[in-house]
Amino acid sequence: MSEKAIKKNPQMREIFGQTLAELGQEHEDILVLDADLHTSTRIVYFKDKYPERFIQVGIAEQNLFGIAAGLATVGYKPFPCTFASFVSRKSIDQFALSICFPELDVKVPGSYVGLPTSKAGASHNSFEDIAFMRTIPNLKVAAPGDPADMRAIMKTAYETPGPVYFRVVRYALPDIFGQDHVFEWGKGRLVRKGSDVTLFGTGMMTDRCLKAAELLAKENISAEVIHLASIKPIDEHMIIESVAKTGCAVTAENASIIAGFGAAVAEVLVENYPVPMKRIGIRDHWVDSGEIEELFQYYQMQPEDIARAAVESIKLKESRLQ
Amino acid sequence: MRLQNEQVARLEDYAYQIRRLSLEMITCGQWGHPGGSLSMAEIMAVLYFQMMKVDPKNPDLEERDRFFLSKAHASPALYATLALKGFFPIDDLYRYCQIGGIEGHTDMRRTKGLESSGGSLGMGLSIAVGAAWGVRKRELSQSRIYCLIGDGESSSGNIWEAAMAAGHYHLDNLVAILDYNKVMAKGFVWDEMAIEPVREKWEAFGWDVVEVDGHDIQELYGAFYRARWVMPRGKPIMVIAHTVKGRGIDKTEFNYKWHTQHPSPQETDEMLRELSLRYGKPEQGYSRLEG
Repeated sequence: MSEKAIKKNPQMREIFGQTLAELGQEHEDILVLDADLHTSTRIVYFKDKYPERFIQVGIAEQNLFGIAAGLATVGYKPFPCTFASFVSRKSIDQFALSICFPELDVKVPGSYVGLPTSKAGASHNSFEDIAFMRTIPNLKVAAPGDPADMRAIMKTAYETPGPVYFRVVRYALPDIFGQDHVFEWGKGRLVRKGSDVTLFGTGMMTDRCLKAAELLAKENISAEVIHLASIKPIDEHMIIESVAKTGCAVTAENASIIAGFGAAVAEVLVENYPVPMKRIGIRDHWVDSGEIEELFQYYQMQPEDIARAAVESIKLKESRLQ
Repeated sequence: MRLQNEQVARLEDYAYQIRRLSLEMITCGQWGHPGGSLSMAEIMAVLYFQMMKVDPKNPDLEERDRFFLSKAHASPALYATLALKGFFPIDDLYRYCQIGGIEGHTDMRRTKGLESSGGSLGMGLSIAVGAAWGVRKRELSQSRIYCLIGDGESSSGNIWEAAMAAGHYHLDNLVAILDYNKVMAKGFVWDEMAIEPVREKWEAFGWDVVEVDGHDIQELYGAFYRARWVMPRGKPIMVIAHTVKGRGIDKTEFNYKWHTQHPSPQETDEMLRELSLRYGKPEQGYSRLEG
């Protein structure tokens, strides 16, 4: 994907904000709740169009989720919106118990996930949200990989009964999918065919997996790339089918590798089809403040790092075959 | 507004039944919170059998009143009330804390008549605020939202986030009740985390406040009547109900040791006999006492 293509697309938060306003036009039961971040999260577009369906709760995230639960009990489909770190660290009990336990129809975007959060540092870098959300029963979890994926996930989230958590990154991504792209829970997408190693990406990291695959191709290594936007449920069938062909894997996520996406793939592999694998992501660190691209370098989450992990994974596979 | 004597007697009988069934189910399940269940019996009786518009035959009626129990550990009193109201058979109460039976705290997906799920304290008032906002948005002007909170959980910040928001949104269809029994799980409220001056706190957060004896049927009815028909003027309403923890049995009253403790079947038999005599009923012990 060229740099030109990256510049063409707005940031994913922008796509999210515009799509939410569009969904609001179609569905009058959508209410949007804010905790004083609407220009950052981009729910300001919904606020401007539908001020009567926009609820400001102040900087009170626990109340944000409690109010959303109450609104859902009277038939609304609320979107309580804040930064992912506040969903998973500040108000996880309200989200889990008041919303997910009774399977209320609440859709939760986690904004500013992972490394690209300007220079905010540890307090605002949500690296743990995938791990936390994955363990909550009744909750579905997704991380879109491009603008079309974001639109499809939000449309599906609205139509899916019960709670949904999806990641919104403050970062521009090139197009991977066409405008007719459809998202289905528990379905992965094969985005590049290969035979030597499978690169499993979620969210923004699928684009980096594709770039890694291009680097590997120069070394005559054929990498398959699979995008798993649906982290929970996860496409076990596609994961197993791909590694049965390639024999080794790398996962890449814009989050902690501990109990996160890579761990979800590892669980599937270990229980069904154990093969060598490596994980790319944040490694048990609080995230520093810094320039975004420098952070990706510092935490070794660049396409080059994925390619290197792929080579290591292939070596492990070959050492076992000897 | 005052109730007729026979209406008071009827509601007192319900309060007696709620206390009785709460202790029966806690004993049967060998787990539960007697103190906070016993302190709220009259509140539940007046709400469900006099004040609230709820129909067990049509539990999803849009323009119904809704009750949210924030202090969800006191669920036995709510379950007993719902069973007496006809949401499910009384016999179901005896499956409290059994797999597939009734949840120890509250699970709205499992038990008919519940409006929310809970158990982690401090969270219920926010849910009630959301429901009150939504009901007003839907123009269900006959609906009222009731939320019972505990004095212990009043040390939780989430309660005050919700209080501030309810005042800010001018939710005068919301009636919160504080079961002010003065006793927490491990001690007295004023020792563990004082909430006084509590009336002034709620007033400062933009609420209209009324204080009542939470065991006096007439006073409770008067407060709820005023909250529904007289007081609404752009402010949520707080009914501070002064109650006695463990009300009804000598050894559980005003005693934090009975916040969580479950009695043995023999103890319950004695407690229920004392309760029946105190309410002027024929002496009656624990219905499932074996041997």
